[in-house]
Amino acid sequence: MWGIFMESVVIFQNYVGYHQNKFLFGIYLFFLLYLLKTEKDKKIRAILIYTPLLILIAFFCPLFRKVFVRLFEDADTYYRLLWLVQMSTVSAYGAVKMCGKHRKLMLIVMSIAVVACGKYVYSSEYITKAENMYHLPQEAIEVAKIIEPEKGRAVALVPADLIYYVRQYSSNINMPYGREMLIANWDYYNEMYEAMEGTEVIDTPVFAELVRNYGCNYVVLNKTRKTSQSLEDYGFELYDSTENYLIYQTDQSAG
Amino acid sequence: MIQTVNFIFWLLVIPFCIGLVPASVMPENKRDPITVFIAGYLLMWSVFEVIAIPAVILIKYDNFTFVLRYFTAAAILLAAAGILLRYYDYRKSGGETWLGIANLRDAVFSAEAKAEWLIFAVLLGFQLYMAVTRASFDGDDAYYVVQSLMAQQSNAMYKNLPYTGWSSSLDVRHALAVFPMWVAFVAVNAGVHATVVSHVVMPLALIPLSYFVYYETAKALFGENKENAAVFMIMMALFQIFGNVSIYTNETFFLTRTWQGKAVTASFVIPLCFLLILWLYNEEKENKGRKAGLWIMFVCMNMTAGVCSSLAVFLMTILTGAAAFCIMAVKREFKLPVKLVLCCIPNAIYVLLYLGLAG
Repeated sequence: MWGIFMESVVIFQNYVGYHQNKFLFGIYLFFLLYLLKTEKDKKIRAILIYTPLLILIAFFCPLFRKVFVRLFEDADTYYRLLWLVQMSTVSAYGAVKMCGKHRKLMLIVMSIAVVACGKYVYSSEYITKAENMYHLPQEAIEVAKIIEPEKGRAVALVPADLIYYVRQYSSNINMPYGREMLIANWDYYNEMYEAMEGTEVIDTPVFAELVRNYGCNYVVLNKTRKTSQSLEDYGFELYDSTENYLIYQTDQSAG
Repeated sequence: MIQTVNFIFWLLVIPFCIGLVPASVMPENKRDPITVFIAGYLLMWSVFEVIAIPAVILIKYDNFTFVLRYFTAAAILLAAAGILLRYYDYRKSGGETWLGIANLRDAVFSAEAKAEWLIFAVLLGFQLYMAVTRASFDGDDAYYVVQSLMAQQSNAMYKNLPYTGWSSSLDVRHALAVFPMWVAFVAVNAGVHATVVSHVVMPLALIPLSYFVYYETAKALFGENKENAAVFMIMMALFQIFGNVSIYTNETFFLTRTWQGKAVTASFVIPLCFLLILWLYNEEKENKGRKAGLWIMFVCMNMTAGVCSSLAVFLMTILTGAAAFCIMAVKREFKLPVKLVLCCIPNAIYVLLYLGLAG
């Protein structure tokens, strides 16, 4: 039970950004305790104070976590229970209640506190300037446009950095493997993926045979990718290229 | 141009008109445009769920065509019913101004409150601007966005693996959460690529929708004190913008994966549950008049949770149970908690269906 409890503590620390020295949850706890002491309205006490507190207690309860994981066969989503404590609503309500008539001063103090203790969402490494209305990398769209069949489906083998995007542009492009191969802890195995990404230099004879076995019509390679022998020697034809990718057509027709 | 009109029709006009149906059995003080709009989205998504889930399970080919046909008809019929009900109410009340608009029109704001609301408007506008001009990478898009796109391009729901495109057996955990299919529905009706709808159009609709819930929460907490409500809204907006303390927080989901069902759970459904319980608590105590509309909203909120994600159904049940328990303990009040728990019956049906299909 102690081990399960400590797992919940680690999940909690990761959720609140404890290791990144972020203390937004500290603001929440401060106002939760403040409201616990001062809020007179029983309805608000029950709904906005006791309910989140009860959920916090449940979150750390090993038995509760055991039931949750058993029910969903998934421990990775346990952190979502913390969505129920409503960090922003309780903090904002507590702050407004506390300031009384000194609203302007409180607004300034709270704004500084939130900026200092939080993290600006748009500075995230996952957010970039949109290159187009699809919000996909422009070159991924260019590659997908070249491969996309006018009718029916095409099968394309693409490098890992395009896997997330190609089918967001056209679902008429199938792939021998997809995103599941890129998540290490999902623990999938695919021989085509191993041949494509698993070695520094692609072993062309093995690679060519697998490409045919998987029925690929196109192979997209990064221009810097090395192969033991030229793909052209194995019946592939350089079909088109973009700034960073070479697109080969195999001898299998799409349809 | 025609696409814009279609978006306005399906994301503004239809939800608002559908919202007039539950509004017709709501207390007077709740019949304002914002509540009607929220109620409309809840009822619309619930109806979508009732049509889409059987289609996913029972129809073998072109199941999305079925949804397109029958949900379009259902949505338009409900919207028409809403307009008729409102017209009937209007006639009966002898020409009363619609839906508390008079309150908004006659509202007096101090200079300070005006400045505070302006700050909030800038913060909201900034979030919308960033939603359109910034691309947010999320690996789950390879699942959810592609599901929407497959429905749009192939007329098939949950028949193929989104990661690769190959056909597969039904993925029950995701197939019951039909939010990506609603995105596909909007995309098809607007004639716009589902990825564009997900990444650009959905945030423009869903971010304000969540702020509507926060605004109503502010009203429920501070009454008619508009200054306090404005400060509350500024705080809420700052929390969203600076709430990225990890990739897990509801604030992060809200602004980086707005178009995914789980983000809608985190930023819309869960806060709405708190709001509705606050409202129901007040109305059960103070108002003997019509309040069925609020209970309809609560049931539809639970159904909407199922549209968003299967885990959301579980989360809403926990939240409702916890709130019911706390109300019972604090106020020695049993009627409301029992009613709240009964409103979770759709969640029980959802779970039984889930377990039945998962085998």
